[in-house]
Amino acid sequence: MFGILKNKKVILKAPLSGELVRIDDVPDEAFALKMIGDGIAIKPDTPFLLSPVNGEVIQKFSTNHALGIRTKEGLEILLHMGIDTVDLKGLGFEPLISEGERVSVGQRLLKIDWDIIADKAPSIISPIVITNMEIVEKMEILKEEYVKINQDLLAITIKK
Amino acid sequence: MLEREVIIKNETGLHARPAGRFVKESKNYVSDIKLINGSKEINAKSIMSVMTLGARKGQMIKIQASGDDEEKAVKDLAHFLEIELPLLEKSKE
Repeated sequence: MFGILKNKKVILKAPLSGELVRIDDVPDEAFALKMIGDGIAIKPDTPFLLSPVNGEVIQKFSTNHALGIRTKEGLEILLHMGIDTVDLKGLGFEPLISEGERVSVGQRLLKIDWDIIADKAPSIISPIVITNMEIVEKMEILKEEYVKINQDLLAITIKK
Repeated sequence: MLEREVIIKNETGLHARPAGRFVKESKNYVSDIKLINGSKEINAKSIMSVMTLGARKGQMIKIQASGDDEEKAVKDLAHFLEIELPLLEKSKE
Protein backbone atom coordinates (compact mmCIF):
# COMPACT_ATOMS: atom_id res chain seq x y z
CA MET A 1 0.00 0.00 0.00
CA PHE A 2 1.32 3.45 -0.82
CA GLY A 3 -0.36 5.24 2.08
CA ILE A 4 -3.09 6.63 -0.11
CA LEU A 5 -5.67 5.37 2.35
CA LYS A 6 -7.10 8.40 4.09
CA ASN A 7 -7.15 8.53 7.88
CA LYS A 8 -10.54 7.69 9.32
CA LYS A 9 -12.27 10.68 10.85
CA VAL A 10 -14.97 10.59 13.51
CA ILE A 11 -17.14 13.56 14.34
CA LEU A 12 -18.58 13.79 17.83
CA LYS A 13 -21.79 15.78 18.00
CA ALA A 14 -22.59 17.75 21.15
CA PRO A 15 -24.44 15.41 23.53
CA LEU A 16 -25.71 18.33 25.61
CA SER A 17 -26.17 22.07 25.14
CA GLY A 18 -24.10 24.33 27.31
CA GLU A 19 -21.10 26.47 27.98
CA LEU A 20 -17.86 24.81 26.90
CA VAL A 21 -15.13 24.24 29.48
CA ARG A 22 -11.60 23.23 28.53
CA ILE A 23 -10.56 19.89 29.91
CA ASP A 24 -7.68 21.55 31.84
CA ASP A 25 -10.27 23.65 33.64
CA VAL A 26 -12.42 20.75 34.84
CA PRO A 27 -12.58 20.84 38.67
CA ASP A 28 -11.24 17.31 39.06
CA GLU A 29 -7.55 16.51 38.89
CA ALA A 30 -7.90 13.19 37.14
CA PHE A 31 -9.78 14.82 34.25
CA ALA A 32 -7.84 18.12 34.23
CA LEU A 33 -4.51 16.31 34.05
CA LYS A 34 -5.86 14.16 31.22
CA MET A 35 -5.33 10.96 33.21
CA ILE A 36 -8.65 9.69 31.94
CA GLY A 37 -8.33 11.00 28.40
CA ASP A 38 -8.56 14.13 26.31
CA GLY A 39 -11.60 15.98 25.09
CA ILE A 40 -13.84 18.80 26.22
CA ALA A 41 -16.33 19.50 28.99
CA ILE A 42 -19.77 21.07 28.96
CA LYS A 43 -21.61 22.96 31.67
CA PRO A 44 -25.02 21.62 30.62
CA ASP A 45 -28.36 23.35 30.35
CA THR A 46 -30.33 20.56 28.68
CA PRO A 47 -31.76 17.55 30.53
CA PHE A 48 -31.14 14.75 28.04
CA LEU A 49 -27.76 13.24 27.28
CA LEU A 50 -27.69 12.37 23.59
CA SER A 51 -25.30 9.98 21.91
CA PRO A 52 -22.49 11.94 20.21
CA VAL A 53 -21.80 9.10 17.77
CA ASN A 54 -23.11 5.84 16.34
CA GLY A 55 -21.74 3.09 18.53
CA GLU A 56 -22.13 0.53 21.25
CA VAL A 57 -22.64 1.25 24.95
CA ILE A 58 -19.68 -0.66 26.37
CA GLN A 59 -19.99 0.65 29.89
CA LYS A 60 -22.92 1.84 31.90
CA PHE A 61 -22.16 2.48 35.52
CA SER A 62 -24.76 1.12 37.96
CA THR A 63 -24.92 4.63 39.41
CA ASN A 64 -25.91 5.94 35.94
CA HIS A 65 -23.65 8.97 36.18
CA ALA A 66 -21.38 7.97 33.29
CA LEU A 67 -21.42 5.99 30.06
CA GLY A 68 -18.78 4.54 27.77
CA ILE A 69 -19.42 4.27 24.05
CA ARG A 70 -17.25 2.61 21.40
CA THR A 71 -17.51 3.51 17.71
CA LYS A 72 -16.89 1.10 14.84
CA GLU A 73 -13.50 2.80 14.33
CA GLY A 74 -12.56 1.67 17.84
CA LEU A 75 -12.78 5.09 19.47
CA GLU A 76 -13.78 4.85 23.13
CA ILE A 77 -15.66 7.80 24.56
CA LEU A 78 -16.48 8.43 28.20
CA LEU A 79 -19.47 10.67 28.90
CA HIS A 80 -19.21 11.68 32.55
CA MET A 81 -22.08 13.65 34.00
CA GLY A 82 -20.88 16.14 36.61
CA ILE A 83 -17.98 15.73 39.02
CA ASP A 84 -17.96 13.17 41.85
CA THR A 85 -21.47 12.22 40.85
CA VAL A 86 -20.70 8.55 41.53
CA ASP A 87 -21.41 9.51 45.16
CA LEU A 88 -25.02 10.30 44.34
CA LYS A 89 -25.59 6.58 43.88
CA GLY A 90 -27.99 7.14 41.00
CA LEU A 91 -29.97 10.08 42.39
CA GLY A 92 -30.85 12.52 39.62
CA PHE A 93 -30.07 10.11 36.78
CA GLU A 94 -32.53 8.07 34.76
CA PRO A 95 -31.00 5.67 32.22
CA LEU A 96 -32.78 5.27 28.90
CA ILE A 97 -30.55 2.55 27.47
CA SER A 98 -28.73 -0.57 28.69
CA GLU A 99 -25.16 -1.76 28.54
CA GLY A 100 -24.43 -3.58 25.31
CA GLU A 101 -27.01 -1.66 23.32
CA ARG A 102 -26.18 -0.16 19.92
CA VAL A 103 -27.02 3.52 19.79
CA SER A 104 -27.35 6.12 17.04
CA VAL A 105 -26.06 9.65 17.04
CA GLY A 106 -28.62 11.92 18.66
CA GLN A 107 -30.34 9.10 20.53
CA ARG A 108 -31.37 9.88 24.11
CA LEU A 109 -29.19 7.95 26.57
CA LEU A 110 -29.89 9.48 29.96
CA LYS A 111 -32.25 11.92 31.61
CA ILE A 112 -30.59 14.14 34.18
CA ASP A 113 -32.06 16.45 36.80
CA TRP A 114 -29.30 19.06 36.88
CA ASP A 115 -30.91 20.87 39.84
CA ILE A 116 -30.37 17.82 42.01
CA ILE A 117 -26.84 17.38 40.72
CA ALA A 118 -26.02 21.06 41.28
CA ASP A 119 -27.34 20.77 44.80
CA LYS A 120 -25.64 17.53 45.82
CA ALA A 121 -22.45 17.26 43.73
CA PRO A 122 -19.39 19.55 43.55
CA SER A 123 -20.04 20.47 39.92
CA ILE A 124 -22.32 19.88 36.94
CA ILE A 125 -19.42 20.31 34.54
CA SER A 126 -19.48 17.17 32.41
CA PRO A 127 -16.33 15.92 30.68
CA ILE A 128 -16.57 14.12 27.33
CA VAL A 129 -13.27 12.37 26.80
CA ILE A 130 -11.61 9.90 24.48
CA THR A 131 -10.11 7.25 26.75
CA ASN A 132 -7.91 5.63 24.11
CA MET A 133 -6.00 8.60 22.78
CA GLU A 134 -3.23 6.25 21.64
CA ILE A 135 -5.25 5.55 18.47
CA VAL A 136 -5.86 9.24 17.81
CA GLU A 137 -3.72 11.19 15.38
CA LYS A 138 -5.43 14.53 15.91
CA MET A 139 -8.29 15.96 17.91
CA GLU A 140 -9.92 19.24 16.93
CA ILE A 141 -12.40 21.18 19.04
CA LEU A 142 -14.84 22.69 16.59
CA LYS A 143 -16.79 25.06 18.81
CA GLU A 144 -15.91 27.80 21.22
CA GLU A 145 -17.69 29.13 24.29
CA TYR A 146 -21.07 27.52 23.75
CA VAL A 147 -22.50 24.50 21.97
CA LYS A 148 -26.02 23.34 21.14
CA ILE A 149 -27.02 19.69 21.07
CA ASN A 150 -26.12 17.85 17.86
CA GLN A 151 -23.75 20.53 16.60
CA ASP A 152 -20.36 19.19 15.48
CA LEU A 153 -18.19 19.42 18.57
CA LEU A 154 -15.04 17.31 18.13
CA ALA A 155 -13.32 16.03 15.01
CA ILE A 156 -11.12 13.03 15.71
CA THR A 157 -8.63 11.75 13.16
CA ILE A 158 -7.69 8.12 13.77
CA LYS A 159 -4.12 6.92 13.25
CA LYS A 160 -3.66 4.70 10.26
CA MET B 1 3.91 -14.35 34.93
CA LEU B 2 3.06 -13.22 38.43
CA GLU B 3 -0.25 -12.81 40.12
CA ARG B 4 -1.45 -11.19 43.30
CA GLU B 5 -4.83 -10.79 44.90
CA VAL B 6 -5.96 -7.42 46.19
CA ILE B 7 -9.07 -6.18 47.89
CA ILE B 8 -10.64 -2.99 46.62
CA LYS B 9 -10.78 -0.64 49.53
CA ASN B 10 -12.11 2.66 48.28
CA GLU B 11 -15.77 3.44 48.81
CA THR B 12 -16.87 3.85 45.23
CA GLY B 13 -14.67 1.18 43.72
CA LEU B 14 -12.77 1.76 40.48
CA HIS B 15 -14.85 4.54 38.94
CA ALA B 16 -13.45 7.15 36.54
CA ARG B 17 -11.01 9.01 38.79
CA PRO B 18 -9.37 6.01 40.52
CA ALA B 19 -9.35 4.12 37.21
CA GLY B 20 -7.51 7.05 35.63
CA ARG B 21 -4.97 7.15 38.44
CA PHE B 22 -4.44 3.39 38.38
CA VAL B 23 -3.94 3.26 34.60
CA LYS B 24 -1.42 6.12 34.84
CA GLU B 25 0.56 3.98 37.31
CA SER B 26 0.26 0.78 35.31
CA LYS B 27 1.70 2.48 32.23
CA ASN B 28 4.99 2.90 34.13
CA TYR B 29 5.71 -0.80 33.59
CA VAL B 30 6.68 -2.56 30.38
CA SER B 31 4.99 -5.81 31.37
CA ASP B 32 1.56 -6.76 30.12
CA ILE B 33 -0.77 -6.18 33.03
CA LYS B 34 -4.20 -7.63 33.54
CA LEU B 35 -6.87 -7.19 36.16
CA ILE B 36 -9.13 -10.15 36.81
CA ASN B 37 -12.51 -9.96 38.51
CA GLY B 38 -14.11 -13.39 38.57
CA SER B 39 -14.31 -14.48 34.94
CA LYS B 40 -13.66 -10.98 33.60
CA GLU B 41 -10.11 -10.33 32.48
CA ILE B 42 -9.09 -6.91 31.20
CA ASN B 43 -6.07 -4.91 30.10
CA ALA B 44 -5.00 -2.76 33.04
CA LYS B 45 -3.54 -0.09 30.76
CA SER B 46 -6.89 0.79 29.21
CA ILE B 47 -9.06 3.21 31.18
CA MET B 48 -12.33 2.08 29.67
CA SER B 49 -11.42 -1.57 30.32
CA VAL B 50 -10.56 -0.90 33.97
CA MET B 51 -13.91 0.82 34.37
CA THR B 52 -15.77 -2.04 32.74
CA LEU B 53 -14.31 -4.37 35.35
CA GLY B 54 -16.92 -2.98 37.70
CA ALA B 55 -14.69 -3.50 40.73
CA ARG B 56 -16.44 -2.48 43.93
CA LYS B 57 -15.41 -1.97 47.50
CA GLY B 58 -14.77 -5.25 49.28
CA GLN B 59 -14.27 -7.25 46.09
CA MET B 60 -11.15 -9.31 45.62
CA ILE B 61 -9.51 -8.95 42.25
CA LYS B 62 -6.25 -10.25 40.84
CA ILE B 63 -3.37 -8.30 39.33
CA GLN B 64 -1.42 -10.29 36.77
CA ALA B 65 1.80 -9.11 35.17
CA SER B 66 3.95 -10.71 32.44
CA GLY B 67 7.23 -9.19 31.42
CA ASP B 68 10.63 -7.95 32.46
CA ASP B 69 9.39 -5.91 35.39
CA GLU B 70 6.52 -8.18 36.42
CA GLU B 71 7.71 -8.52 40.00
CA LYS B 72 7.92 -4.79 40.59
CA ALA B 73 4.68 -4.20 38.68
CA VAL B 74 2.63 -6.61 40.76
CA LYS B 75 4.12 -5.39 44.03
CA ASP B 76 3.77 -1.67 43.27
CA LEU B 77 0.32 -1.88 41.72
CA ALA B 78 -1.05 -4.02 44.55
CA HIS B 79 0.27 -1.44 46.98
CA PHE B 80 -1.21 1.35 44.92
CA LEU B 81 -4.65 -0.27 44.82
CA GLU B 82 -4.79 -1.28 48.46
CA ILE B 83 -3.04 1.57 50.21
CA GLU B 84 -2.45 4.66 48.08
CA LEU B 85 -5.68 4.82 46.11
CA PRO B 86 -8.04 4.73 49.11
CA LEU B 87 -6.00 7.55 50.69
CA LEU B 88 -6.08 9.64 47.51
CA GLU B 89 -9.80 9.14 47.20
CA LYS B 90 -10.42 9.88 50.86
CA SER B 91 -8.67 13.22 50.60
CA LYS B 92 -11.36 14.25 48.12
CA GLU B 93 -14.10 14.06 50.76
